[in-house]
Amino acid sequence: MAIDARFSPQARKGERYLFLGNEALIRGCLEACVGFIAQYPGTPTSDIGETFKDILEQQPELQEYIVHHWSVNEAVATSSCAGAAWAGIRALNPMKHVGMNVASDALHSITLAGPNPGALVLVVGSDPGSLGSHHEQNERFFTWMHHTPMIEPHSPQECHDWIKLAFDLSERYDLPVYFRTSTRSAHSRGKVEIGDFKLPPRPKGEFARSTSKYCSLPPYAINNHVRLYERINAFTRDVPSFGLNKAFPGDAKTGLISYGIPFGYSMEALHQLGLDDVPVLKLGITYPLNEDEIVSFMKDLDQVIVVEELEPFLEVDIRSIAQKHRITASIVGGEVFPRFNEFSTGLVASCIAKLTGRTPSARVQRSQDTFNSYKARIPSRYPTFCPGCPERAMGMAIKKATKDLTDPKTIIAGDIGCYVMLINPPLKMSDFIICMSGGLSAAIGLSKKTDDKIIALIGDSTLMHTGLPVLADAIANDANVLLIVFDNRWVAMTGHQPPVGKGKISFEPLISSMGVKWIKTVDPFEVEKTVRAIQDGLKQEGLKVILCQRECALMAKRGYDAERRKLKSRNEQYAYDAYQVYNCVLCEKCTEMLSCPAMRRTTDDVTGMTVMRIDEDRCSSCSVCKQICPHNRIKRTAFNPHLDTRLQLRRIEKQ
Amino acid sequence: MSDNDDTRIINVVIVGTAGQGVITLKRLVEFIAAESGYEGVFGSEMHGLAQREGAISSHCRLQRKESPNFRENIFSPIICYGDADLVIGFEPIEVLRNAGQFASDKTTFVVNDRTIPPIMVTAGKETYPGLDEIKAILVGYSGDARKVRFINATELAIAKLDDAQKMNMVMFGFALATGIFDFTMETCEKVIRRELRDADVNITALKLGLEGGKALLGSR
Repeated sequence: MAIDARFSPQARKGERYLFLGNEALIRGCLEACVGFIAQYPGTPTSDIGETFKDILEQQPELQEYIVHHWSVNEAVATSSCAGAAWAGIRALNPMKHVGMNVASDALHSITLAGPNPGALVLVVGSDPGSLGSHHEQNERFFTWMHHTPMIEPHSPQECHDWIKLAFDLSERYDLPVYFRTSTRSAHSRGKVEIGDFKLPPRPKGEFARSTSKYCSLPPYAINNHVRLYERINAFTRDVPSFGLNKAFPGDAKTGLISYGIPFGYSMEALHQLGLDDVPVLKLGITYPLNEDEIVSFMKDLDQVIVVEELEPFLEVDIRSIAQKHRITASIVGGEVFPRFNEFSTGLVASCIAKLTGRTPSARVQRSQDTFNSYKARIPSRYPTFCPGCPERAMGMAIKKATKDLTDPKTIIAGDIGCYVMLINPPLKMSDFIICMSGGLSAAIGLSKKTDDKIIALIGDSTLMHTGLPVLADAIANDANVLLIVFDNRWVAMTGHQPPVGKGKISFEPLISSMGVKWIKTVDPFEVEKTVRAIQDGLKQEGLKVILCQRECALMAKRGYDAERRKLKSRNEQYAYDAYQVYNCVLCEKCTEMLSCPAMRRTTDDVTGMTVMRIDEDRCSSCSVCKQICPHNRIKRTAFNPHLDTRLQLRRIEKQ
Repeated sequence: MSDNDDTRIINVVIVGTAGQGVITLKRLVEFIAAESGYEGVFGSEMHGLAQREGAISSHCRLQRKESPNFRENIFSPIICYGDADLVIGFEPIEVLRNAGQFASDKTTFVVNDRTIPPIMVTAGKETYPGLDEIKAILVGYSGDARKVRFINATELAIAKLDDAQKMNMVMFGFALATGIFDFTMETCEKVIRRELRDADVNITALKLGLEGGKALLGSR
């Protein structure tokens, strides 16, 4: 693999490159002597680990100094990082917002102890708008509970510069630093002026025993709590000296306070409304706030608009500072701005317009009116399984085995992974979704208090994340549940990281040794066998497990395509399966049961009838549609009357 | 601030469905702009649900020279409603869904005519509007039919390059023909060679789109 020059020591101070927010903070880490990175993948932070992996693969000489782990879950990752920090290493711990729920238990003790002699920086990827998550939890409040300073960058340049500072601050104040990005800031690209690459001074650190520091339990717990206040109070006092908070002057009597990406929306909204005279305080550090800084910005203003996504967080702090210092300016925020969903320049502009009596630009209004006039005619597009996905095939098999979940009446306990998409049409299955491994957990209680059949779903990576303890609980408590494990060999939803223990841990002996008597391994592309296995499993009492073994279709296709290119470049012959619909009677069974995106409803050129057709450039030849067509109208073929045969390459066998 | 002012911000929206190469093209446009000396480059893309048949949209914002009045510069990676100068659509219905709010009378649309019917359409539960209907809606923004161009980019990529995936580069060539970007072919080629695999095929695809675009729009 070619070296990405932006991450090499040859890229020098003062040079400018385009970076995504995440890439920029990685470059920052490489300039800040980072020595250890551990994380569980989660949007929008997964690509941090992937990029580190690539960097270490491309520059193997770095591996002695920098270690990257895909951890089993966020709590393990955070504690791993603390361990490295306690050996004097600078450690980085990326996670998604909900990862903080899992990491929080560990983080609380780690913050009491402090990361010294090393440093610990958490990158927490928030997700207002729930763009890549099951919900948009506002995890900023954890910083109030833990007393971890929080930095929120706006641009890739700030991601780069501020993460370097975050390591310094973590080290200086003996506190983990909470570096909060968002789906937007992590995946926005801009120009970044870089600094010089800096490896850790030595590959390994040293751990010095200190029971009172590292064991936050009585009698040391209170002392560490006292010490925590000393540290966070010193940090609070010094906030202005870090230079991350910046006031943009203006003569207006209305001011605005914001941070991160919402600051960007606010600046453009103000400009658009002709309000360039509004003074703006941009907070780079959103916890803790320095009272003097806030007071000096607010003291001469009549009104302060706080622009922040999700629940009011800054606003609460700012109100309490204003109250304490008897500042009379009115403070507006959460009662005018929505407390949900992602903001945009247009939204911020319309809220500010309302507050200031301005009119939003006519162009914005016309644009919205036009869009609203036809919005209802846009057909919905749910994210769905890729063509050839084993999880779609399994979902279909469950429906088939239980006569659409009615005979026997079956409850589906969903979980987090690509299979969350089973809730979408046409399958519409998953009766509840809680959190990682929440499905089987809830199934345990349900199984005791209903006589319905219960199928719990879990992916291979989720099983390793938190599923194994739940499995132990289900076995210990004799839960009457059929657990289906999607063993697709990848953490597919977050972009195909290898699941922890890939190639080292095999599920069947593991689950069997835990005490599960009934385990079946199935290939979901064998529809009848899979349906029978589900029916058999549901008849058994106690905890039963079906291992659904089939590689993620996307990764399998990448493999096929790579092989195809290789064969093609060598001018070798190859054959493949292709499927096509002949004389379709439009019974709709395939769309009802599968709705594979490779299947298209179209008009037959000759007869003018509506028929189903398979887009051969999208089909991945899983053959499931062929197996369920009640009229046997889908055939395996190497010839296609509609398309150039060269396009039918899919499953490749060397001839 | 006149339209020819170097400090004017060019707002581009690229939409399509997962796996069509939306992010690849957006990234390429940004790299080409940086290589061409643009001072302001800021844009947002969606990762995460990629490749799962979902709708994908990305915004990119370019400014040749930063304005001395800093408040006129780019602060947001997302453009404001109605503020798109150019919409590049890889799939017709996605243009309505994810570019419609950002379009206005100033917007030029270039749209690939290959439809990817959502599953509810395939299931016969919802209707995919006809291409003529979509075109009429888009022309409605400006009243100027010359600002809305459909092209058979997927078909061209399959017929000429045996690779449907190169549709995104054909579309980029077509977008270049509108004259909204002032990139030179030399810079485009240089960046493609640096940033993309299959550089030769991608450059061929780009030229294919550019020629097709010039023929359709009249030469630049």
